[in-house]
Amino acid sequence: MTEVKDNPLVKRSHGGILHLIWKHRMVYTLLLPGLIWYIVFAYGPMGGLQLAFKTYRASEGIWGSPWAGLKNYERVFGDPAFWSAVFRTLYINIGRLIFQFPIPIILALLLNEMKFVKFKKVVQTVFTFPHFLSWIVVASILTNMLSLDGLVNNVLAAFGMERISFLGSPSIFQPMLYITDAWKSAGWGAIVYLAAISGVDTDQYEAAEIDGASRFQRVFFITLPNIMPTIVVMFILAVGGVMSTGFDQVFNLDNVSVRSVSEILDMYIYRITFQAPTDFSFSMAVSLFRSTINMVLLLIADRGAKLMGGDGLLG
Amino acid sequence: MRKKKIGGWDIVLMTILSVWALAILLPVINVIAVSFTSNKEYLARPMMLFPLEPTLKNYIDLLQDKRILIGYRTTLLLVLLGVPLNLFLTTSFAYGLSRRGYPGRKLIFYVVLITMLFNGGIIPMYLLMMKLGLTNSLGSVVFAYGINTFYMVIMRNFFSSLPVALVESAKIDGAGEWRILFRIILPLSMPIIATITLFYTVDRWNEWYNAMIFIKSPNMQPLQLVLRSIVLESQMMDKISATGTAVIDKERFVSGMKMAAVVVTMLPVMCVFPFLQKYFVKGVMVGAIKA
Repeated sequence: MTEVKDNPLVKRSHGGILHLIWKHRMVYTLLLPGLIWYIVFAYGPMGGLQLAFKTYRASEGIWGSPWAGLKNYERVFGDPAFWSAVFRTLYINIGRLIFQFPIPIILALLLNEMKFVKFKKVVQTVFTFPHFLSWIVVASILTNMLSLDGLVNNVLAAFGMERISFLGSPSIFQPMLYITDAWKSAGWGAIVYLAAISGVDTDQYEAAEIDGASRFQRVFFITLPNIMPTIVVMFILAVGGVMSTGFDQVFNLDNVSVRSVSEILDMYIYRITFQAPTDFSFSMAVSLFRSTINMVLLLIADRGAKLMGGDGLLG
Repeated sequence: MRKKKIGGWDIVLMTILSVWALAILLPVINVIAVSFTSNKEYLARPMMLFPLEPTLKNYIDLLQDKRILIGYRTTLLLVLLGVPLNLFLTTSFAYGLSRRGYPGRKLIFYVVLITMLFNGGIIPMYLLMMKLGLTNSLGSVVFAYGINTFYMVIMRNFFSSLPVALVESAKIDGAGEWRILFRIILPLSMPIIATITLFYTVDRWNEWYNAMIFIKSPNMQPLQLVLRSIVLESQMMDKISATGTAVIDKERFVSGMKMAAVVVTMLPVMCVFPFLQKYFVKGVMVGAIKA
């Protein structure tokens, strides 16, 4: 009869945790490089957030600078440009939810109805590729097309119509943001919905066809309701991004003519940080505010998506 | 098999999709066309989809402007140094997270999750780079983007979805953990690794913001930033000239050179994309439909 200490099935009570760690030493070794990176480059910088409540002195560094309570926030909340930026960000991004969000869905529905496989594949490749270009490139391409002497305006002029400054008019800047973003990414966004559509039970279609339903009715009353869960989850996730979306796009489409309508929160932060006299504490105060609100929104979105049966932001 | 009938709706559908596809292709074709156009022809025929007298002059001018070569060199370096780092960190971490039963697993996962929700912004990162002595070096940009948590989770989910029986039977055969990883898991994971490699490569190719903040030296500017400076230059010239087309510099057709720069920057992605598209799509599917 084996003694207790020799029986491998009996867990030892002392040194148990160390024993476990040694047993899984391979896993810890694997996790170590990534963990070090996260700690140094993701958590390390978070220490800088305390500058939001301090007055930064370069000579004393982050930790040595004196505390300043809420003085920075008095300045932040007292700056009308700040509030303007916040409301503009919300206005533009909520508008995205209404106008831009449906576009990939419609595209997916259309693509799904396309019978000719070769055509569908070619078209899908064309739609998907602009997503992989940087906004610097996309902005150059679109500015070239839409400039006052670009292709589109030349066509308009040939028909006797007036030239429109598409990307230089404050009045249409916002809709142009939606259109250009859809140009770049609607095709890629449609993929998630196409994946969902491919999971729909074909029996339903056959039954509907027998009942004499038209094409349109089939899309509207079968396809659409079946992918509703996916749509809802994607929508909620989009809501989570309402404070943070768009910097890359706006930064690259920004120009002197539209400056009055282009300053979203991230553009405001960029301006006060890099285009104004250096005041790291002021910048950090705004950044902290922005990051906190953004996190709250993402958490709400994550919880909301999970309640709807989706997976949330992470698996 | 039922023969496919072409209905009226199919034609409407094809038309809509074609128009959309053209809306994407035409601007790109336009850019390529202008890049091969001479100054003279552009003034005479501003609206065109391909030049009647193509010229390579814009490209020659572009190459003579050394910046584009610096851009290419920097970005290639960034990809060659950055992507292996990304892969190493992401794959090891993802595999570690996919294993079960070790203390601290949940804690580590939450630690990582928080970084997805919250970050300090660019200034603390800049101060950190200063402290590490990495400012004005490519290292700052290489290390600033180490693990994309979203990609890491996709990989982790993939590893988790591999049948447990595989690992179990290998263990029964006496294989150690490392051998299992290298001889069994990794070969099986090639598709997902290929996909994530592509994602990271595109990210690195398109990277510009960190470099703009961290690197001031003109010899270390990535391609995207070089393109940006060329574009901004031509925009400034547009303001000065009356016609709105930058032709002030009689020697160079600035708009043409700008378009050549755009073509040169997007060419690799454009050429490679049709062949690799299925990998990108598969990656999203794996991410969106979790096992």
